[in-house]
Amino acid sequence: YKRNDGILDPMAKVGSGVTKNRLNDEVRHSGMQFVVDPGADATIGGMTACGASGTSAVKYGSMRNNILGLECVLPDGTFVKCGTAALKNSAGYDLTSLITGSEGTLGVITSVLVKLHPIPEHIVSALCVFDDLFKAAEAVAMLKLRDSPLARCELLDKTSISAFNRYSKTSGNSSHEKMEEKPTLFLEFHGYSKKSIEDNIEFVKKICVEDYDALNFTFTSGEEERKSLWAARHNLYYASISLRKGATGAIVTDACVPLSSFARLMTKTAEDIRNLDVVGPCFGHAGDGNFHCVLPVLEDDSEDYLGRLQQVNDNLIRRALEAGGTCSGEHGIGYGKIKYLSHQYGSGGLHMMKL
Amino acid sequence: MKILVGVKRVVDYAVKVRVQNNTVDLKNIKMSLNPFCEIAIEEAVRLKEKKVADEVVAVSIGPKQATETLRTALAMGADRAIHVMTDLRTDYMELQPYAISQIFEKIVEQEQSDLVLLGKQGIDSDCGQTGPMLAGLLGWPQVTFASKIEADDDGGMTVERETDSGMESIRIPQLPAVITCDLRLNEPRYATLPNIMKAKKKKVDTMIAEDMGIDLKPRNEVLRVFEPPARKEGIMVDSVDSLLDKLKNEAGLLS
Repeated sequence: YKRNDGILDPMAKVGSGVTKNRLNDEVRHSGMQFVVDPGADATIGGMTACGASGTSAVKYGSMRNNILGLECVLPDGTFVKCGTAALKNSAGYDLTSLITGSEGTLGVITSVLVKLHPIPEHIVSALCVFDDLFKAAEAVAMLKLRDSPLARCELLDKTSISAFNRYSKTSGNSSHEKMEEKPTLFLEFHGYSKKSIEDNIEFVKKICVEDYDALNFTFTSGEEERKSLWAARHNLYYASISLRKGATGAIVTDACVPLSSFARLMTKTAEDIRNLDVVGPCFGHAGDGNFHCVLPVLEDDSEDYLGRLQQVNDNLIRRALEAGGTCSGEHGIGYGKIKYLSHQYGSGGLHMMKL
Repeated sequence: MKILVGVKRVVDYAVKVRVQNNTVDLKNIKMSLNPFCEIAIEEAVRLKEKKVADEVVAVSIGPKQATETLRTALAMGADRAIHVMTDLRTDYMELQPYAISQIFEKIVEQEQSDLVLLGKQGIDSDCGQTGPMLAGLLGWPQVTFASKIEADDDGGMTVERETDSGMESIRIPQLPAVITCDLRLNEPRYATLPNIMKAKKKKVDTMIAEDMGIDLKPRNEVLRVFEPPARKEGIMVDSVDSLLDKLKNEAGLLS
C-alpha cells in the first residue's frame, strides 16, 4: 500500500489472481484487512468481475464499495487504468464501477486497488431467536432503518436450523449444541471499546425483543465461542445439501429487494417451498434485503421435481422484480438470468448496456 | 513467571527461493516472522492474559531489520524485546544452532526467565535444534513439538505433543523449562492497529552478537546448496497395456 511519511493509506494494489485469504495473510501484521467475504477463498479479480459481496456487506458494502480502481485489458488489447488512489473521484465516467460486475464481458481485469479496513478491536457475536420468520425479517428492516451498527446480519429460517442440527449429529460434531428450530438472526458487532459494543447490543436487543417479539437474545465475545455460535451459518451450504441424501450439488437462488419488501419475499418463498413440496432452506444477508435458497439436487431427480425447483426460483424473481428489486443480488447473471434483464431494466436499460 | 520467546526473521513462507553461488539468494526477498515463532509468541501472550505469566520478552538475532520482526511480536502482546544484532546469515549458512543456543543461554541468565518458548524449527534451516540445545546448555527440562500447553496449579506444566505415532502428554513438575511450539498449538492473533501503534513505544534493547564472548563460528560446513531437480514432464500413455508396461519396466513399481 502507499506510504506517506509514516501514515499508511488503507489500500493495497493486488494482482487479480491473488486470493482473498492470501491478501489478508499478507497484510495481517499491518492491523488491516480486506473485508469483503464471499465465504469462499476467491481471487480478487474474480470477485471484482462478479461484483462479489458477502456477510460483511451490511457494514462495509460489496466489492463496489471496496475498490478504488483497477487495471484491465480490453478485447482489442488496449490497456486501461481506471479509478484513483484518492477516496473521491469526479473525473470522467466511473469505469471502475462499470467493469466491476461485468462478468468478463468488457475486459480482463489484471490488477485491483482495494480498500482495506482496520481489523476490529472488539468483536461480539449474537443470536436472536424468533417464533415467526416474517417478524424476524421485519425486525431487520427496522434495525436498518434505525441505522443500527451491525457488522453482520444473517437470517436463517427454521429449515436451515434443523438442517444444521441434523448435520451436526451425523457429521459427528457433537460439540455444537442443538439449536431451537426457529427462525434465527445471526448478528455480529464490531467496536473500538467494550462499552461501545455493549451500547450497540443493548440498542439492537431492545428493538428485537420489545418491538418484534424475539424469544431470546444471546451473545458472546470469545473467539471460540463466537465460532460456535455462528456454526449453523458457517456450515449452511453443506448442512443444506445433506438434507437430501445423495445430493452433491444444489441450485442456489439469489435475489435482493428493498428492505420494506424483504419480509414478505422471504416468507412467501419459504411458503412456496412448502407448498411445492421441495426441500430448501432459506437464509439471507438480511441487512441487505438479499437472500438465498439452497435447493439440493439429486442426479436422478425427476423432471417434475426439477420443474418445481425452477418454479420456486421463477416465483421468487418475479416477486423481487415486482417489488422493485433485482433478479441477482450477488451472484451475477451468467447465462441463466439474462432473460430477466429486460423485465428488470426495460428496453432503455438494455439498449444502453448493448452500447 | 517471566517468559522469553525467540522470534526469528526468515524468508517468507510463500516465497520461492532461488539458489545462487551455492547459497540461497536473499537479495530483495520478502522476510517475515517465522510461523512457528509466531505461534510461540501467541502462546506466551495467552499465558499472560490468563495471568499465568507476568512478562513476555521477545528476542531476535539478526540484522537491523530484525527489529521489524520484534515490533510484530510486540504488537501481538510482548512487553519488551531484545535485538541481538549481527549481519551473519541466520539461515544455517553462517550462524548455526549451537551458537544461537549459546546466545539464548546468556540472555536467559541475564533475564532470569522461567520459561523459554521457541518455535519448533525455523522454516529456513529446518533444524529444530535450538530448543533442545538450549535446554541442554541450561540443564533444563524440555518438551518439543507442543500442541497444547497448560499451566498446572502447583507451578508445573502439562504439555501435549504430537508425534508421528500419536499424541503424548508430558508433565513438567516445575519450571524453569524450554518448550518448542508446533503448528496446532494455537492460531496466532492479528495485531490490531492500536496495538501496532503501541508497539512502536515499547522498549527494544540492542546487544551485539560478536561482543557477547561466544564463538559464533559454524560447527558444520555446508558443502553444497542446490535446488531440487526440476520435475520431469509427464508422458501421456495411449492404452492400459502401455501404462502397465511402463509401471512394470520403466518405473519398476510392479513385479
